[in-house]
Amino acid sequence: MKEPQHVIGQAINRVEGKLKVTGRAKYASEFPVEGIVYAQGLNSTIAKGEIISIDASEAEQQPGVLKVITHQNALELATPEEELLKLGTKAIAPVLQTPRVHWYGEYVGVVVAETFEQAQHAARLVKFEYRKDDHRTEYRSAGEGEKFKPEGRSDFNWGDIEDGMSGADQRVDVTYRTPVEHHHPMELHAVIAQWNGDKLQVYMPAQMINDATIGISETFKIPKENVRVICPFLGGGFGSKLQAQEHVMLGAMCAKMVGKPVQLTVTRQQMFTNVGLRQENIQRMRLGADADGKLTALGHETLSHTATNKEYQEPCGAASAMLYNVPNLKVTHRIVPVNLPYPWAMRAPGEATGSFALECAIDELAWKLKMDPVEFRILNDTQTDLSVDKPFSSRLLTECLRIGAKKFGWADRPLQPRSRTEGNWLVGYGVSAASRKAPLQKSAARIRLKRDGDTLDATVQTDATDIGTGTYTILAQTAADYLGIPVDRVAVELGDSNFPVSAGSGGSWGAASFTNGVRAACLNVKDTLKTLAGYAAAEGDTLATLMKKAELTEHEAEGSAAPTEEFRKYSIYSFGANFSEVWVDKDTGMCRVQRILNVGSAGTILNPKTAYSQVLGGLVMGLGMTFMEQSKVEKNHGNFITRSLADYHVPVNLDLADVKVIFLPEEDRIANPMGVKGIGELGICGVAGSLANAVFNATGKRMRDLPITPEKLLMTQVERDLALLD
Amino acid sequence: MKDLDQWVGKTEDQLNEDERKIFNDLGLHGESRRKFIGKLSAASLSIWIASNTGLNALIPKGEEMPEQLKALLNELKVELSINDKPYTLHLDSRTTLLDALREKLGLTGSKKGCGHGQCGACTVIIDGKRQLSCLTLAASCDDREIVTVEGLAKGDQLHPVQEAFLKYDGFQCGYCTSGQICSSVALLEEAKRGEASYVTEDFTELKQNIELSEEEIRERMSGNICRCGAYNNIVMAIQEAQTGQDQGQKWSFATVEEVREAGNA
Amino acid sequence: MRPYEYIRAKSSSEAISAATAARKPHYLGGGTNLIDLMKEDVERPDTLIEVSRLPMKEVTRNATGGLTLGATLSNTDTANHPDVRKDYPLLTMTMLSAATEQIRNMATNGGNLLQRTRCPYFYETSMPCNKREPGSGCGAKEGMNALHAIFGYSDACVAVNPSDMCVALAALGATVVVMTPGGDSRRIPFTDFHRLPGDEPQRDTTLEPGELITAIELDAPRFADHYYYLKIRERSSYAFALISVAAGLDIRNGTIAAAGLAMGAVAHKPWKLTEAEDFLVGKAATQTVFEEAADLALRDARPLEENEYKVEMGKKAIVRALLQATERNA
Repeated sequence: MKEPQHVIGQAINRVEGKLKVTGRAKYASEFPVEGIVYAQGLNSTIAKGEIISIDASEAEQQPGVLKVITHQNALELATPEEELLKLGTKAIAPVLQTPRVHWYGEYVGVVVAETFEQAQHAARLVKFEYRKDDHRTEYRSAGEGEKFKPEGRSDFNWGDIEDGMSGADQRVDVTYRTPVEHHHPMELHAVIAQWNGDKLQVYMPAQMINDATIGISETFKIPKENVRVICPFLGGGFGSKLQAQEHVMLGAMCAKMVGKPVQLTVTRQQMFTNVGLRQENIQRMRLGADADGKLTALGHETLSHTATNKEYQEPCGAASAMLYNVPNLKVTHRIVPVNLPYPWAMRAPGEATGSFALECAIDELAWKLKMDPVEFRILNDTQTDLSVDKPFSSRLLTECLRIGAKKFGWADRPLQPRSRTEGNWLVGYGVSAASRKAPLQKSAARIRLKRDGDTLDATVQTDATDIGTGTYTILAQTAADYLGIPVDRVAVELGDSNFPVSAGSGGSWGAASFTNGVRAACLNVKDTLKTLAGYAAAEGDTLATLMKKAELTEHEAEGSAAPTEEFRKYSIYSFGANFSEVWVDKDTGMCRVQRILNVGSAGTILNPKTAYSQVLGGLVMGLGMTFMEQSKVEKNHGNFITRSLADYHVPVNLDLADVKVIFLPEEDRIANPMGVKGIGELGICGVAGSLANAVFNATGKRMRDLPITPEKLLMTQVERDLALLD
Repeated sequence: MKDLDQWVGKTEDQLNEDERKIFNDLGLHGESRRKFIGKLSAASLSIWIASNTGLNALIPKGEEMPEQLKALLNELKVELSINDKPYTLHLDSRTTLLDALREKLGLTGSKKGCGHGQCGACTVIIDGKRQLSCLTLAASCDDREIVTVEGLAKGDQLHPVQEAFLKYDGFQCGYCTSGQICSSVALLEEAKRGEASYVTEDFTELKQNIELSEEEIRERMSGNICRCGAYNNIVMAIQEAQTGQDQGQKWSFATVEEVREAGNA
Repeated sequence: MRPYEYIRAKSSSEAISAATAARKPHYLGGGTNLIDLMKEDVERPDTLIEVSRLPMKEVTRNATGGLTLGATLSNTDTANHPDVRKDYPLLTMTMLSAATEQIRNMATNGGNLLQRTRCPYFYETSMPCNKREPGSGCGAKEGMNALHAIFGYSDACVAVNPSDMCVALAALGATVVVMTPGGDSRRIPFTDFHRLPGDEPQRDTTLEPGELITAIELDAPRFADHYYYLKIRERSSYAFALISVAAGLDIRNGTIAAAGLAMGAVAHKPWKLTEAEDFLVGKAATQTVFEEAADLALRDARPLEENEYKVEMGKKAIVRALLQATERNA
């Protein structure tokens, strides 16, 4: 069929925007619930050991305190059978089930009181006595026997990496480090939990509503139908709100035990220890190329940490296995359990950090080959995904690089580092390639039509969420086009587990899955109406006409999208290129990004305004990752010494500069009928590589340990081989 | 625990050890202890003493707590003016303006992003100046004029800054937006007054109605963190709000020919 | 927060008598640091005495020809006061580098002088800190001390003072005026106001219990032509300094007639570089001279395990700040 594109592709304003600019959009902790009381979670102050006694008497005597809950009196929840709980979006999240402590900041209790102030204060008064064991937060020195390949992570091995390296004319063998990072969406994680008999209603920021209901119901061992999750808005997630975590269970447990609706808000400090993190990665990169610049070998070995009771590793090497054409390759992932909070998916897990290592190593090799890094990448481009031996459905990486280079003025870049200055600034330019898987997941939606004369109003319902990505808007656009009505006659209702089950927001599948699900529902609306109108139906009838013919004023239908057989034959990705100009102060080491040009090839751009925002957001987070974000572990106590947003720096407005985005007109109908591919995570991929490469071009310093802070720049020496081109 | 009239008017050194301990446990010392005792009627004091191991237990649920007991829960009477409307609140003295707005008044437009003055999501305008409501005690706002995001639009008519945020997509998830908008509205007034910022070229040169450069806007808006990263759109929104000039757009599409040419090169 | 009694003082003397009567009183100015610390359970006053509305909000000309800054005037209004901008642009620039507009609108001048350290061991109540809990030990000395002192620390404490404003005040010269519980006025030279930790790190300043800051008197105007506040930090705004330098020069025919120089984030108090100041006087305003001054300034630095970089960064920062100051209005 011919896919309509009238309002799809238009840069309309966000349909929910008015609610947001007037402060009327309601986030989880803001729903008025009568008789609500407040809970405050308590955290361990040791990194490993066991609680041996608890004195809650002082807290319990405080005015307004209703309950202090610890492992001694907590409700019994489901617990994992294996020692390391495999983290997933549907995973259970038991809490307060054991006196054992696995990391500094693990929940050890919760206080419920009538007011927020009372709960906050009483929380300070519960005294825990611990038996303290020697903790371990260091994993780099782990022996081979302590490292293991986590479940669900693939190693890749073809050709012979050693042969490829030894046969190369130029090679690099370098190690990159990325630190622990935290998601820190602006909205604090929060929950309002309310029981009605054995039924639980939860307001919570959830990226994936259906998976949250599964996680909650399985943790409380109640039927999934008994759990309702509501989340019309959430204030960012970036992965940290993918699943129902411990605080959700704490809130629900409190509500059950005090018999009142409970609001529990996770503090910003707890968001360092209790909602996941991007793990530190040590990435050894080995690259070899022949004198003509053809890659002969690529090795990417990642070592990271996980918790001692939960397992997750971001796949840093995933992109290395599919981005370039290389005959000899070895990609491995290993983790070591340590006494740190559990890692979890953060925006473009693996690709964001892995692409830093890969794209910097590529730049290092290009520099050794005296090749332009753009041309070096193009020379090693491939139309086959060697990691799965499938063709790409559409891959316009070379096009992204060439168009970007032209628009950016790449040809004017001096190859020699430290050769351009501007006052006190050293000026540098960097480039990187970017790729991000563009999955499609099963996603359903319901369309409800109401007819008033010839005027049709439609309501879209799906449990999809808008985490800032623009879901409300693109679904309104989709429904408008496929129903053939103006976009302002479409209402979109999201984020309620009573609605049809969607793919949820995550993994760059949201936009493609949701819109194709809505499309399917729209097509079903039309088909069912045609049937109902019977012989009266004529080709070209509008839906309003069909409804009139069927004598209906109301009608509804559901539909759902899922990957096809054709889809499975291909490797489906979005691609992009980042060009950046960075100024580094020659004395202070402070860096200012001057401009970034991002070129993206991500299929149908549903709304360039919100798509631009998505890319911009990815670039900002990538910029933060490059220059400032890091959570440091205290070496003696094992806690995060960076414990607030004053210590953990995320970019502020002044850190940003000119950001331009060019979208390529790409039609990829293999990906899905609407040709939509994700862009929110693509935006962060390669960013750190491009910026770090620009820092090298500016300073002659290879900054392989993120973030690139003033003190590190000051204490790092210029690369020794820099005289190469002199 | 029956007749506790004897306590009223007692001086510090007339308290016996147990009594002193009870007061100490409640954190009442010196002048504040004398004041509290003085404020109490014997009846309410007896309830308090009897229940100091669980004050709320003795207060029948749903019934109004005696005023004197409220005082013991650090209650204060505060007269607030919010968006031109007067409110009289009896608040725990520890209540911040932000928590008063969100939890007591249902004005949830102001957001809690950290509660420690490190993000700007709670920005409101107090007596014409943007301030952080999370570090402002409600008690200190007695008689002050507070404007929150809910007070900027006039009926259905959005404030020009709100309109500009919509047009330039100056937000994504929307959680920092209220703070960004309150900050922007106050910023335009600061520019009119001629206030300087750290990136101002010459501090000795005094002028009013400054047209803010991009860098000036960025520095002055750096107190409002947006994790979605909408900064550039926010800057354009403010530029249009200040100048009335359309700021264009920062995205473009390559043409099919450009793509073909790049693929063949 | 722990429960406290909230008192709205109507006069300085009322505030002081309330403070004298209470067991653990604290004055409340803008609250930007205090409320944060109370939420963290670091500060635990039982009586909070609101002084932010006390009528000490004027900027007036004092006997030395300098300006006197009221203690309860906000940082924003102080930095933007026309007389401050014209006579002490170094102070304006420095104050505007701090925090954010929202915080500067709240923060008072008196409160800025009493800002407490950002040391994470001080903030995190589960870790040892002699400043927060005397006798519990200093977690930072053998712990994570990249952001800590290189001058004047003791075994008990290696924390640094976080204020920007105070760095400029140290460079400019000032006097802190306080009202004592007896109702008298006491004048404290600025360099004596903050103290080094010694074995009493819990005391940041030389203020006595109950004393209330009423004003800051600036020395006669200096450095209105040649000034710079350099603040090196991990992001471009809204961050505390790794190192900062306030530099003011009086240059006459290429020769330095007077110099004001102080560093921030290197010690328990704003670090006035008296020796370097003296060295500069009478010399030409050149990079070589500035480098010698910087070497002199950092000569006695004693870096900790993780903050060696501060010595190098400090030297570069001094030279750079002096160069920028020289170039301004050159």
